[in-house]
Amino acid sequence: MLMTLQSFAQVKISGHVVEAGGDPIPGVNVFLAGTYDGGSTDVNGYFEFQTQAQGRSLLTARFVGYKEFAQEIEIQSENFEFTIKLTETINELQAVTITAGAFTASDVSRRTVFRALDIATTAGATADIAGALNTLPGTQKVGESGRLFVRGGDGNETRTFIDGLVVLDAYKPSAPNTPSRGRFLPFMFKGTSFSTGGYSAEYGQALSSALVLDSKDKGELTRTDFGILSVGGDVGHTQVWDHGSIGGKVQYTNLRPYVGLINQEVDWENAPVSLEASTAFRQEVGKHGLFKFYGNFNLSNFSLYQHGIDDYNQTTLYDLTNKYQYLNGFYKTSLNKNWSAQGGISFTSIDEKALLGASLIDELQKGLHIKTVVAGSLSENVELRSGVEIISRAYDQKFSADAERNFYSFHEIVSAAFVEADLYASNHFVVRTGARLEHVNLTRQFSVDPRLSLAYKLGADGQVSIAYGRFRQSAKDEFIKVDPLIDAEKASHFIFNYQYVKNNKTFRVETYYKSYSDLVKYPDADPVKLSNDGTGDAKGLEVFWRDNESINRLDYWISYSYLDTRRNYLNFPHRATPSFASKHNVSVVAKYFVQKIKSQIGATYSFTSGRPYNDPNTSVFNQLRTPYYADLSFNWSYLPTTSVIVYFSCTNLIGRDNIFGYEYSKIPSADGSFNGRPIRQPAPRFLFLGIFITLSRDKSVNQLPSL
Amino acid sequence: MKTRAIILILSVLVGYTNKVFGNDNQYAEAMAKNIQTVYSSQSIAELQGAVNALERIASAEKTKWEPYYYAAFGDIMIAHREQEGTKKDAFLDQAIANIENAKKISAKESEIVALEGFVHIIRITVNPATRGQQYSGLAMQTLGRALSLNPENPRALALIAQTQYGTAQFLGSPTTEACATNAAALEKFATFKSENPLAPKWGKGMAEEVAGNCK
Repeated sequence: MLMTLQSFAQVKISGHVVEAGGDPIPGVNVFLAGTYDGGSTDVNGYFEFQTQAQGRSLLTARFVGYKEFAQEIEIQSENFEFTIKLTETINELQAVTITAGAFTASDVSRRTVFRALDIATTAGATADIAGALNTLPGTQKVGESGRLFVRGGDGNETRTFIDGLVVLDAYKPSAPNTPSRGRFLPFMFKGTSFSTGGYSAEYGQALSSALVLDSKDKGELTRTDFGILSVGGDVGHTQVWDHGSIGGKVQYTNLRPYVGLINQEVDWENAPVSLEASTAFRQEVGKHGLFKFYGNFNLSNFSLYQHGIDDYNQTTLYDLTNKYQYLNGFYKTSLNKNWSAQGGISFTSIDEKALLGASLIDELQKGLHIKTVVAGSLSENVELRSGVEIISRAYDQKFSADAERNFYSFHEIVSAAFVEADLYASNHFVVRTGARLEHVNLTRQFSVDPRLSLAYKLGADGQVSIAYGRFRQSAKDEFIKVDPLIDAEKASHFIFNYQYVKNNKTFRVETYYKSYSDLVKYPDADPVKLSNDGTGDAKGLEVFWRDNESINRLDYWISYSYLDTRRNYLNFPHRATPSFASKHNVSVVAKYFVQKIKSQIGATYSFTSGRPYNDPNTSVFNQLRTPYYADLSFNWSYLPTTSVIVYFSCTNLIGRDNIFGYEYSKIPSADGSFNGRPIRQPAPRFLFLGIFITLSRDKSVNQLPSL
Repeated sequence: MKTRAIILILSVLVGYTNKVFGNDNQYAEAMAKNIQTVYSSQSIAELQGAVNALERIASAEKTKWEPYYYAAFGDIMIAHREQEGTKKDAFLDQAIANIENAKKISAKESEIVALEGFVHIIRITVNPATRGQQYSGLAMQTLGRALSLNPENPRALALIAQTQYGTAQFLGSPTTEACATNAAALEKFATFKSENPLAPKWGKGMAEEVAGNCK
């Protein structure tokens, strides 16, 4: 210091800065607040500095990842020596997180094992969220459905939430035994959390799995996008201003020319046509508030001929028109430094008219979900999250066939409250405990479901976590409409997870046990006399490995799921494995960027062992197994310039004739046996070609992230 | 992308000339010494020491944005030298915190916004394949804002050229546009004047480096 030789009183302040365990911390900034006087600790945690300050001063020690230390000292002429202990702050980057059951994909958080972009670029998924998540462990491939079947659960047991608000029907309509696609495009979301069990008390009315999607905040760039697709086209525009943005997109798809070219298993009268519009509005309110609005409107139609099993020439026309509206308004604000509040309302309307031969089914469903959540820190080590919600669903169905007319309707209101606390013992150990209270107007029942999970970090890279929870979900509409008093179905999850993440390599292994109770059951084939006597269980082991480090430009992951599940529900005569459950599922996904040809090339291989089916000609229910399912899909994204992408994808390169199951005639033929036929893929392959053009002032942006 | 970033950082220094600051007071001296360190030091410990000192100055000089600015610059230099991705991110988070503090003092300072764009560029180096798209978009947007606050800011322009160049190289497309931007940046460096004796002076070397590759 320059002034050491002068006659002012110079005081030396020195000492050590250590962690709770006594280890020195280098690089700590130790200083007298509001002055220049201070120093940094060396490798031994030692610091020293001189000061001319006199009297009361605030000695401060500060370093990334530790709580700031401050102590008032009285400086006279004596030198000071201190030992300062810093305690770690619980921060997102280092803190342990609960990983049991959860796969998160996010562009924001950097600790995720699966990114939003991964969804868009997974071969075989054709930018469908469910399609990409189907390559993760815990899912069973059900090729004729396209929905997410998780750990022995039916596709209906996975619920989708956007900004915390439930989506009543997250899939577009599809012809019987053809896969449906999700209604929401992956690029709308900044984060995707896919939980295969043990999820937060915030999410109810989901028996097996919660798919939680966080929509993007304010748009980043003003841009116009065009897409020319082999099955239609789209145009979108986003306008961005200082504190907000608005975007809109219109998409028209028509499979008619495509199915005209490529021979189909399905006998289409009119192949699917769909018109879809979506809009997103974002406005920052004040310093801390954000308002989001999202709307999705879809009109789709198709018609096809169903052929008789006994007599192929006997045909029935099936014509389906589906009108869908989803509106979601969301507001989030911080109340103060530690607390934030958010609230939202979503409205869904689904109007579906299905014409089957002479009978018409007209189904109208209206849903309203209102929810508020308050979250914050009670202290440095305790995070609290609590909220209330109302989910209201009005269902009306008109059935008419010749002279017969039937009306069904119900109005279900689920009121719920939840509270959940994260208790951090340290950066290494966290316990999350919570409960969910629900009341259902139809059954007039209250219920309380507990949740508990904990995670322990074994070192810098590995951690174990376990989770337990009880979950319930109202019976399917088709059952409530005949018996509004039917109770909710229930499940308990027990999960153990080990995860190791280092240098862009992830290894996960997870094992679980799930038990079902109060499943809907009815005698024989008649779903009228319903009871909650059904039971079931599922257990399994899953392994996931991902590496995008070892080989330059190559990113790949491998998932394996083993599932052992049995149920006695619906009209099952005894406990049996349901037809959607397969014992072994394997996915291998690889993506490689070839700079020379400016292309990203990806391939996905999926394998599913044979699924059960029931042959009424045999004596044991669901005893037989289909052949295994296998698919090798390929995609190619070519970027000739920064604003154009050419995208090509093809499923089932090997052309395997996958069989998903068999369907049988309800009436025995003359010799007393039942005729049957396999349920096949609608076509051996699905080819897709798209050209996407982005216009923006900044040309270095293209649609790759949105593909 | 990674090697490019290293060239970028090293060449930050070439264009910097160490001037003696006009005001002979405690603030100017302390700033000069620490700015010198964040511009030139190769050692994480030294950089951390300078960042700490700059944060101390910032705590005492509550109306000046420059201490936070150079503290953030030091954080970026540390992030660049750290090997591990999570540590890089931690220091970049720290840089953003310092940038936010600087913005509270001077909301419309183009240099601060340009530095924020620099942080996004360094984020890409943690994992170019997965982060390139998102962060290059963010960087371009932020740097565009810096440029709209001060069209004469050569650093904003040079960083835009850098991002364009990196993107063009990654995609194997022509670098014409990047080179044109870079040439414009070099002109701005030649004419850049600031009344502020503590105004940033880095970045010219980086632009010269790109210009060398453009030939």
